[in-house]
Amino acid sequence: MVANTSSNTLSELAVDIRHLRFAYTNSDAPVISIDKWQVRRGEHVFLFGPSGSGKSTLLNLLSGTLTTSSGIISLLGESFSTLSNRQRDRFRAQHIGVVFQQFNLIPYLSVEQNIRAAAYFAHSKLRNDALSKKMEDLLKRLQLPSNVLNAKADALSIGQQQRVAIARALINSPQLLIVDEPTSALDVNARDSFMALLKSVAKESTLIFVSHDPAMANYFDTQIDIQTLHASKSTDALHEIKEGISC
Amino acid sequence: MLGTIALESLKRRRHTAILTLVSITISICLLLSVDIIRTQVKSSFTRTVSGVDLIVGAPSGQLNLLLSSVFNIGTPTKGIAWDSVESLSSNKQVSWFIPLSLGDTHKGFRVVGTTNRFFTHFKYGNMQPLRFAHGNVFNAQRSAVIGADIASSLGYSVGDNIVISHGLGNVSFNNHDTHPFIVSGVLEKTGTPVDKAVYVTLEGLEGAHSNHTSSSTLKKPAPTHSHDMDNEHEHEYEHEHEHEHEHEHEHEHEHDNANNSKSDYNSDTFEPQQVSVVMIGLKHRVTALQLQYQVNQNKDTPLMAILPGMALAELWQIMGNIEALLLALSALIVICALIGLATMQLATMRERYQEIAVLRTIGAGPLTLLLLIQIEAMLITTAGIVLSLLLVAGLMGIIGPWLSSEYGLFISSPLFGQSSVFIIGLVLTSTYLVSLFPALAAYKRGLHAGLNGR
Repeated sequence: MVANTSSNTLSELAVDIRHLRFAYTNSDAPVISIDKWQVRRGEHVFLFGPSGSGKSTLLNLLSGTLTTSSGIISLLGESFSTLSNRQRDRFRAQHIGVVFQQFNLIPYLSVEQNIRAAAYFAHSKLRNDALSKKMEDLLKRLQLPSNVLNAKADALSIGQQQRVAIARALINSPQLLIVDEPTSALDVNARDSFMALLKSVAKESTLIFVSHDPAMANYFDTQIDIQTLHASKSTDALHEIKEGISC
Repeated sequence: MLGTIALESLKRRRHTAILTLVSITISICLLLSVDIIRTQVKSSFTRTVSGVDLIVGAPSGQLNLLLSSVFNIGTPTKGIAWDSVESLSSNKQVSWFIPLSLGDTHKGFRVVGTTNRFFTHFKYGNMQPLRFAHGNVFNAQRSAVIGADIASSLGYSVGDNIVISHGLGNVSFNNHDTHPFIVSGVLEKTGTPVDKAVYVTLEGLEGAHSNHTSSSTLKKPAPTHSHDMDNEHEHEYEHEHEHEHEHEHEHEHEHDNANNSKSDYNSDTFEPQQVSVVMIGLKHRVTALQLQYQVNQNKDTPLMAILPGMALAELWQIMGNIEALLLALSALIVICALIGLATMQLATMRERYQEIAVLRTIGAGPLTLLLLIQIEAMLITTAGIVLSLLLVAGLMGIIGPWLSSEYGLFISSPLFGQSSVFIIGLVLTSTYLVSLFPALAAYKRGLHAGLNGR
């Protein structure tokens, strides 16, 4: 987390939020109200809060699946919230990897087709053989057997779907990886294993990990309670809670 | 990649996709079939006769005269006296004439009494003459020349006997058993009603009807009208007459005689009492209207002359409205099937919103999604078109013989012409337009609503 941004240049920031407000069309009350929040490049941030606190909404705003009511979101030095829909789609495909809570693999496509689709829509410049090699390498790192490539997504176990979703999010080597409660269906052992895996494959990316479970904070250096973000007037007011959780 | 996604998506929804495909295939089949029948009828009818300037028969409708004389369809008109034929043929404008006597059949195939002039002057298609696959023209009073389809379907060849039956229809109780004809030639296939007709000599036909011996009906040819028309055999007449006369009581040897007298027999010299129709070729086609007027205005001898082209034009005029109606109905059925396709896509859109949102999230833009939905629609329609083409080709192959035997419609290649290409183009364009509705629904669908169900 960035305690003081005065010395940071825009290029060092992966996320820079200013005066962000968001309300759903059927509600007047803003779900998101953040004056300032910054995340440095390469930082792995744990964002937590109770159900209904706006975690997923914030991630949707960061991934561009929702558009802001007011305020500015800058991602990787680009004023993301002011991009046109088309530019935002392209930017997301090329720079942001998203792992959803439900994994959201396309069920009728095979594992390979799911991953290739992400590369295709991001206009990946990788040649076919290089893409295949990268895909195999990712699966290997995610401890998935290569024969899973031809399996349909809906034929996989939850754990396999989870890893394929990560592989799909990482195929374009995104600089920002957004992960939304992917461990909610896992037991403790599986969760530990998954988190270790995620941290290792995403070590070169900025990672924003969302969960309602504060115990997940142990895996991260930086933890943010979204309720505190809402309450803050600036990032200076944000407080780290790692120690509190550890106790 | 979009094609793969579209194909896999359709496979996922295969039940609805297959039902939609079936309805589209049937509707395109219907439209193509109507179009093919329409174009083949025109081409078949237009191809059937070529170079005949006038057809003269007893007064009736011009369509009836055309259909019975050229297409072997319907009931032949009343006969016209041979004197009238002679009078016509003596006209200075007439280059040649072919007398035709209709009304008999052989195992359901029409029998046409004529002379060897038929094989010389009758043309089909683009002025193509008739050619013999086997044998030759009439070489005796009881010679018969058969069309290619009769030879193949009944297994006849040169030298076989044929017994004709009086009247039309597949079954007749009045067979001319005592007056068999011998096949002297088999014509090459023409793709016209000629293929399904038995041609016998006028002399033999009249002999069969009158139960007289062949020689008793033979008369001396009229010297006045034949000098400028097919008179190449006339000088042989006397010799032929003598030859026939020698054998007039030797019926048991008549077949041998028929086969041996190839170079002697002249079918054109026989003068029957009456014929059904006369086909006329003129020296100058421009005089056709004039001669038609003369014939139709002649109160002494009531005859009717028709121009084949004009009669066909009248036929197309009558058929035009029915044609247009059938085409319009078929087109409406195709449109209904395509709307069904769009409805199927719209109905499945609700369950696809999440999938669409995921595609958006991984980088697919709204236009890409629009294209994806349209590719799915195009895939179904293209499969429907391919299946329709195969089905229609198979169907025409199966019902082709029935169409030709029952309706005189000969299906010829190429089966699919410019109009088929136009129809296919139109169907694809309609698919594109109709699929815009579900495609726009996908285009407009927000990312977040799909992912979170809001």
